[in-house]
Amino acid sequence: MLEYIISKYNFWVYIILLLIGLYAMLGKKNLVKKLIGMNIFQSAVILFYVSIGVKKGGATVPIFMGDAHAAHGHGQAIIDVASYINPLPHVLMLTAIVVSIATTGVALAVLILIFRRYKTLELDEIIKIRKDTGV
Amino acid sequence: MIWQLDIILCIFVVICAIAAITVKDLLAAVIILGAYSFFMCILWTEMGAVDVAFTEASVGAGVGTVLFIAAVNKTKRRSKD
Amino acid sequence: MKVIAILIIVLTGGLLIYGVEEMPDWGDPNSPASSHVSPKYIQEALEKTATPNMVTAVLGDYRGYDTMGETAVIFTAGIGCILMLRKKRKGEGD
Repeated sequence: MLEYIISKYNFWVYIILLLIGLYAMLGKKNLVKKLIGMNIFQSAVILFYVSIGVKKGGATVPIFMGDAHAAHGHGQAIIDVASYINPLPHVLMLTAIVVSIATTGVALAVLILIFRRYKTLELDEIIKIRKDTGV
Repeated sequence: MIWQLDIILCIFVVICAIAAITVKDLLAAVIILGAYSFFMCILWTEMGAVDVAFTEASVGAGVGTVLFIAAVNKTKRRSKD
Repeated sequence: MKVIAILIIVLTGGLLIYGVEEMPDWGDPNSPASSHVSPKYIQEALEKTATPNMVTAVLGDYRGYDTMGETAVIFTAGIGCILMLRKKRKGEGD
């Protein structure tokens, strides 16, 4: 049982972070807190993707070691697959990080608009104002 | 891969995430979120994803924290929960 | 509201923990993610693109259109922020 927990520990950390983010998005009433929860949620998913690309047993970062020009000149370089970490999840997550910061920027702009109109950021107060004014 | 460092970093990341959603001062919460991003960045460097790590350090922790601070500066700093 | 949130979280957490059983171990070199497509990229990236860094080779050469679409996304987000936050001129509606 303990061995099972240790052999998959990256999944436990990502589940804990994802649930923290989900709780902040659902349970907190302040809108900035909801956005912070969304950020935590996104980085939890990115952690999941990066951690399934890891290889144990002497694998290093996915950058070619040695003389790159000489190896390219000979045309046929012998590259051992087991000595480099899987680069594909890293590529996809680079895109995901940049897109996540773009969504955060748009969300913060909407937040400022909400504050200009209702003068508050608490969700229950906004709902109460909308009910009172009949909008 | 150093597993002691890995466990310490994972504990710090979880503590930072919990603190960021519990603190009532929004500016403090945003700064703790920046610290969370940097811990995440160290965790990814340790997992071998160097490109992801420096993109997160510049974009996620830098630009993201600046955007959040600007938004909190234009709105209220206090939060009820 | 808090009770519903905690209920949903317990449900989601249970489902995720149930699903972890099927996943490969941490750092397994023969996991499905590292055994189908990625060996081809690792072996051919240097020869085909002359870039030592495999991540940038895939990002800029194999997936160049993807990166171009990403810049379009950021451009759209910036335009949206400018349009939402600009000061309204007199005579312009709300």
